[in-house]
Amino acid sequence: MSTTTGDPRPRVRTGPDGVAVLGWRCTGCGYPVAQQVLTCPLCREPVADSAFSPEGEVWASTCLRVRVPGHTPPYAVAYVVLDDGPRVLVRTPGDRPLPPASRARVTGTSETGDLVAVPAEEES
Amino acid sequence: MSAAFVHGVGTSRFGRQPGVGAPALVQQAVTEALDDAGVGDVRELDAVFAGTVFGAPGTAQRALQLLGITGVPILTFENACATSSTALHEARHAVLSGRFRRVLCLGVETMTLHFSGPITPEETDVEGRAGLALPGVYAMVASRYEHLYGLEPKALAAVSVKNRRHGALNPRAQHGAEVTAEEVLASRMVADPLTLLQCCDISDAATAAVIGGERGVGRDVRIAASALRSGELWDHRSTQPWGYELMARVAGDAWQEAGIGPEDVDLFEVHDAFTIGEITATEALGIAEPGGGCDLVLSGHTALGGRQPVNPSGGLLSRGHPLGATGLAQVAEAVWQVRGEAGARQVEGARVAAVETMGGGTAGIDGNGCVVVVLGG
Repeated sequence: MSTTTGDPRPRVRTGPDGVAVLGWRCTGCGYPVAQQVLTCPLCREPVADSAFSPEGEVWASTCLRVRVPGHTPPYAVAYVVLDDGPRVLVRTPGDRPLPPASRARVTGTSETGDLVAVPAEEES
Repeated sequence: MSAAFVHGVGTSRFGRQPGVGAPALVQQAVTEALDDAGVGDVRELDAVFAGTVFGAPGTAQRALQLLGITGVPILTFENACATSSTALHEARHAVLSGRFRRVLCLGVETMTLHFSGPITPEETDVEGRAGLALPGVYAMVASRYEHLYGLEPKALAAVSVKNRRHGALNPRAQHGAEVTAEEVLASRMVADPLTLLQCCDISDAATAAVIGGERGVGRDVRIAASALRSGELWDHRSTQPWGYELMARVAGDAWQEAGIGPEDVDLFEVHDAFTIGEITATEALGIAEPGGGCDLVLSGHTALGGRQPVNPSGGLLSRGHPLGATGLAQVAEAVWQVRGEAGARQVEGARVAAVETMGGGTAGIDGNGCVVVVLGG
C-alpha cells in the first residue's frame, strides 16, 4: 500500500552518551509516547520532547518468513518496552526472534528506517 | 420494539474469484437472504446497513441497484474484520429503536483485487511501515501468550485440524480438506510459530442478513444480545496479547445483556483468522480460564460432538476471510445451527449460539472493533 504521510516510526539520536530513542512525554502525568501527539492521550496535558533509554525488555517477538511488499524475508521483529519509556517495534538481527522477557538495546535504525535492537549483552 | 430477529441469511460462494465482482457476489448473497426471509418485494426493506473494508465508494449502492434496492437509506460501515457484524449490531438497534422496521445487512469484499499475499496494516502505522503483516500481528499474540501461559505447537495445530475437519462438512467452505496435526506443523512457516495451515486465506465473497421485529415466524432467530466496542490504548502498560482485553470486555457486555453466560451457549463462531486467535477468543469469551484455551481445544470440548463446538462452520480457516463479509458469514452459520439447518455439521440440540468477530490493524489500540452477538434462546 502507498502512503503520502510522514514516516510514523520512532527516530534515534546518537551522541557521546550513546543512542537514545526520541519521543514525547506528558508534562502532567509522565505518559511516554513514541508517536507525535499534540496533547497527552491520557490526561490532555501538553507533551514535551523526550529522549528515552535505548534499553528495555522484549515483550513479544516473531520472524516474518513470508513475502510482504517492500520487505525481504526472513526478518525478525520484536516489541520492546523501553525502560521508563514507551513500547516500540524493532527489527532484530537474524531470523531467531529474541525471547520475551529478555533484555534488548536499540542500536540505531536500519537503512529502511526501522529501529534496530540487539540482545542487551551484545552491546555492553 | 422489544426484540430484533434475524429473518433470513444468505451468502455468495466463498473463494478467490477475481473474475466475479462485488455486484455479482452481492446479488448471490442478498437473493438468498431475501428468499430465506420470505421477502418477496424489496420495498419491504426500510434501509440497508452495508459493510466493506477495501471496497470503493458506492460499492453497496452499485450492487444493490441491480436488485432493485434503491431509494432507501443505504449506509456503509467499516470496522476492519468486524465490519459486517458492526452493521448487524447497528441494524439491530435501528430496529429496536423503531427507526426502521426491516433492515438488510450486507457485507462484501473482493480481497483478490487488493492483496495477493498477507494483509498488511496501513503504512501510516508503525506496524505497516515495518512490514508487520497480519500474520505477524497474530504471531506476536502467540509469542506473548506463550510467555504468559506456555503454548504447545500441538494446541495450535489442534485448532486447525478441528476447524478444517468441520469445514470438510461445509459445502460453502473455501478450503474443505481435512488435515493432520503433522501436516499443519510441517507446512511452511509464515510467522513464528504460525505455519501456513494455521492462517486463513483471503476470499472474495458477500454475505447478507435481514433484520426485523418479531413476526411470529418460527424460523426467525432472536438476537438476544449484541455488543460493540473499539479498543483501548494498547501500549507499554499492557500485559495481555493484542485484542484479548477488548474481546473480554465486549463479551462481558454481551453476556450481561443476554442474561446468560458462556456456559449456557451451545456453539460459538469465533474469529480464527489465525489459530492463536481462536485460543485467545475462547478465553476472552469465558469458555476457558485465562491460559486454559489450549487444554480446551485439546480436550475435544470445542469439536463437533463435544460439549461446546467452536467454529462448526470450519471458521475462517476453512471458509476464508472476505474481511467485510466475515461477520455476517459467522452470523449465518449461527442462524443455520439454531434453526437446525446446518446439515452434516449440525450441533445437536443447538438453541443458543454466540458469534465473536475481532477487527484490527490500527497500531496503538487493542483492536479497531470487536462485536459479540448472542442468537437464539
